[in-house]
Amino acid sequence: MTTPRIIDFDHLKPDEFEHILPDLFATGDGKVSQDPRLQKFLAANPDCAALVKDLETIAETARSLFEPVAEPSDRVWQNIQAKLAEDSALASIDDDYIDPGAPLD
Amino acid sequence: MMTQALPSRANPGLFKRNPPIAGEAEAIEAAQKGDGEAFAMLYNLHKRRVYTLCLRMLGNVSEAEDMTQNAFLHLFRKMGSFRGESAFSTWLHRLTVNLVLMHLRKKGLNLVSLEETDNPSGEETITRDYGRRDPILAGSVDRIALERAVEALPPGYRMVFVLHDVEGFEHNEIAAMLECSTGNTKSQLHKARLKLRELLRSPGQPPQPSVDSESAI
Repeated sequence: MTTPRIIDFDHLKPDEFEHILPDLFATGDGKVSQDPRLQKFLAANPDCAALVKDLETIAETARSLFEPVAEPSDRVWQNIQAKLAEDSALASIDDDYIDPGAPLD
Repeated sequence: MMTQALPSRANPGLFKRNPPIAGEAEAIEAAQKGDGEAFAMLYNLHKRRVYTLCLRMLGNVSEAEDMTQNAFLHLFRKMGSFRGESAFSTWLHRLTVNLVLMHLRKKGLNLVSLEETDNPSGEETITRDYGRRDPILAGSVDRIALERAVEALPPGYRMVFVLHDVEGFEHNEIAAMLECSTGNTKSQLHKARLKLRELLRSPGQPPQPSVDSESAI
């Protein structure tokens, strides 16, 4: 699928179209339905055109899911604070630590 | 005759959705110096997005909360390494995704071969859909219906779909994170969209999440 190959867009068959569709979506701006090379093929193959439209609609709607829909419970922040306080206390112990083997001043 | 080679270049990026947030730059700088209040502000600015990302990737509230906690603890410890080369939220999301993937790998999940879980024969083809066109889908999809359908996707499909179509990562980035080829991620994404189409065209049968609320992926 990732190997570039020569495609005859004027004589494309539905099974060939099916094979290259993931690449067609992955390249360019993702608007397969507006690809000038495919207009003739899509006009002659309404099922393929409908499929392309549906997949484009799904991809476009998916972008709206980027906005968050859920919020973590308060427990998450409480745990973070507790963990950071614990780390801070440990770091403070480390700072105060005196190596018993170190030479005396 | 219109004959052309398909380029194999990466998707240039369909959407960049991380504009700067007012006050964020100052909070980052202060948090890098250990200011707890600034870190709390960063948490409040980003907690919902990080949690939603974890929830979508894991499909489990308890695990998603644990990973959100881990992500912010890692963030606190790694604040100093943020150099502003990308948007802070992009950097934080990448950190979160990597933690979730590490968590899944520790649980023994093979992220690359997950496409097999739904369709062992790998014969999900477009031709299956011919003759079953549904005009309702052509043009609009309800956001909530899509959210439910995404929950019902097999984990491998869901992972690539969320990372690419929702989060906006490119195929080469996803391939690097999942340690697989871009051909694999393109194929997974295509199959995910085909599966979503199938789920969305069966309104009489509401999609069921592919994992129960407490089970692992």
